[in-house]
Amino acid sequence: MANSPLLVPGPTDHLKATTSKSISKSKLSSAAPSSKGANPEASTKASNAHAPVQDMAEQMNEEEKHKYKKADLEILYCAGKKLGEGTYANVYLGHLVTSPSTLVAIKKIKIQAAYTEGLAPDAIRELKHLQELSHPNIISLLSVFSSKDQNLNLVLEYLPLGDLEMLIKDTEGVRYGAADVKAWMGMLGRGVWWCHENFVLHRDIKPNNLLIAADGEVKLADFGLARSFSDPYRIMTSNVITRWYRPPELLFGAKHYSGAVDIWSVGLVFAELIIRTPYIAGDTEVHQISLICQAIGTPSEDVWPGVSKLPEYTVPEPATPVRGKDHYLATFGTAGHEGVDVLMGMLVLDPRKRITAREVLEHSWWSSDPKPTKNEDLPRKGGGVAKIGEDLKRRPGVLEDERGAKVSRKLDFGGMK
Amino acid sequence: MAPSSVSEDERYRTSTQYRLWSFTPTSLLELRTTTNRNAANRVRDAVRRAREARAASSGNTSEVDGGDSRAVSAVPEGEVDCLSVEEELKLVTHFCRQTLQLGDHLQVPTDVKATAVQYIKRFYVTNSCMTYDPKTLLKTALFFATKTENHYFRLTKFAEAITATKPEEILASEFLLTQGLRFTFDVRHPFRALEGAVMELQAMANGQIPGVGELRGMDRRVKEAHGKAREYLKTSALLTDVYFHYTPSQIMMASLLIADRQLISLYLGSKLPPSSANAAISAKLMDALDRCAEMLQSMAPGREQSSEEKKELSALAKKLRKCRNPEKIDLVSLQRAKREGDGEDEKIVKKRKLEREQSAKEGEDLFGPTIQK
Repeated sequence: MANSPLLVPGPTDHLKATTSKSISKSKLSSAAPSSKGANPEASTKASNAHAPVQDMAEQMNEEEKHKYKKADLEILYCAGKKLGEGTYANVYLGHLVTSPSTLVAIKKIKIQAAYTEGLAPDAIRELKHLQELSHPNIISLLSVFSSKDQNLNLVLEYLPLGDLEMLIKDTEGVRYGAADVKAWMGMLGRGVWWCHENFVLHRDIKPNNLLIAADGEVKLADFGLARSFSDPYRIMTSNVITRWYRPPELLFGAKHYSGAVDIWSVGLVFAELIIRTPYIAGDTEVHQISLICQAIGTPSEDVWPGVSKLPEYTVPEPATPVRGKDHYLATFGTAGHEGVDVLMGMLVLDPRKRITAREVLEHSWWSSDPKPTKNEDLPRKGGGVAKIGEDLKRRPGVLEDERGAKVSRKLDFGGMK
Repeated sequence: MAPSSVSEDERYRTSTQYRLWSFTPTSLLELRTTTNRNAANRVRDAVRRAREARAASSGNTSEVDGGDSRAVSAVPEGEVDCLSVEEELKLVTHFCRQTLQLGDHLQVPTDVKATAVQYIKRFYVTNSCMTYDPKTLLKTALFFATKTENHYFRLTKFAEAITATKPEEILASEFLLTQGLRFTFDVRHPFRALEGAVMELQAMANGQIPGVGELRGMDRRVKEAHGKAREYLKTSALLTDVYFHYTPSQIMMASLLIADRQLISLYLGSKLPPSSANAAISAKLMDALDRCAEMLQSMAPGREQSSEEKKELSALAKKLRKCRNPEKIDLVSLQRAKREGDGEDEKIVKKRKLEREQSAKEGEDLFGPTIQK
């Protein structure tokens, strides 16, 4: 389920392993893995003038392919941290051919031997939705091309600073406060709102799918489970969203649902950001339901008309009444009164009464104190990963730190009149 | 970004349907012409190569390079008679009709059929029937649409339900299809727009919201317009080029306009009350809708093919058989060869390594040695 496009940098020695030979620039492009002699520099029209050896579609693909190049670092997955890594894709660091400093992540979709139905659904979903969604808080898909062996390559923006899960877990190295949480929640809220505004359900929101860009911006990633809103008469699977972030309606087997499923996940990410540990972490689905009953309250016909009709509705006895604000303030008080209101709105049991993404963004919490932290002042992951981040920043042209900025400015010929 | 700051139009303009798959009639024709010309040249080259190879190995049983010797022998001597742009378009439309029928046979939902047909139309903007046989590709398109529209169908079951089709045949052109679609799979249909407009019209008819004023039997007229418009959306909108030229809401409105012009004029009037400020935009809108409606009516739903048209189509199908690119007929084998690689892979890996080294080196040169911390 968790086929994350992990953009976490691997060990540093991969970065440095490739600095020996010197070859001239002109050769760089001629050495491109071009197969059938299409000139990547030439426009479609220009190459058409010559002997047409390729379909137009093939030519367009060649053009995309030659814009990007896989670079020296195969990004490694953090050992043992994720489920199902690598079954769906490998991620490589790449850069724009014309500008080695413009880093990208190239996600190469694997052909799965076990899947005999052609291009796998997770790859299709990710491609379909990322092609349409363009927003600062959603990972951007810059390009797609196929390599010669017909593997698909997704060129994604490079997000070097890890994910929210890493920040949450590093209780020793990373300290943050209410204003930081508000900033992260704002970015997450806007990303989710944009998905819903475009009739897309993400269906796998959790801290390790919230990646952090070099400038601190949080980006919603991994659309491998996403789908468009269904028509009222069409059913959907309830087997989505990682268990700890899965809302009660899905645990009860609902086949018709809305953006409210994502909002529940957002609420649990919010709770986790505050207490720095997963708030409702069940071992099984049954356990998850019983933990929800304890933490939030038992779903019943009183608070959620119709819930008992859901196919897998069972709740443990005795019922727990729905928790009031005092209960939340005791645990999540650092978010402030209005912050707690937002959290409670996201964790309403009845999906029809749950706050919507739009309502979240319109909430007065955002304008109350403390103001959200500015991106450049947000805490970052310390230790090893940050160090690799530093290393990356020192690579030519990345404007992140001061030193890099100075060097780049000197060489910014494009800016000269 | 404040939630209210993005209009529906702005959102549509971020879609791939607008960015990659919307054309003026002139630019669309240009693209199709280029595609057709390229393909015809390739067919002639391939036939020439095949004939040369056959001549060289005459009496020998060896296979023609990547091609199908039976197909080559089907190509008559002399210059190959290739399809024109118009002929290709007629064939594609014909196979789009067949896709709808196959979809009915397999009982897939309307949006799966509609998406499959748009995939075929988009694919043949940059690919030719002479290169890739639409009869095969349509099965792949329909199967792929079941995946992109979340209506999963097991491949084996899917293949079984179609006569004389093997699963690998369907998968063999899946990659080609996705490439031809430029890896964009989302298709925006006008169906939901129609339901929305009809709900609003019904509310107006029931007096729940103010709107078109007095109109006798409005309730019944809305129902009838709904049914008729839906027929246009399910057939004419898919088979004509309207998706390439108009937005889903324009297509929807044009289909309603065909169904009941008076009703829809009143409806539009309630959205854009007659005034000097609205005059220009109203005229522009009506002009677009009328042109779209005209295009839709060129293939009205339920219209039977005349015997002349049928004759023409079977002649075209025959002509296509004689100008197929012999190197692209056995897609299953071609596909297998691609996937398994032909010894090229190792070369590519070496090349890539070289490139990586170069680019890293280049970075070093430009920016000097790594600065010590």
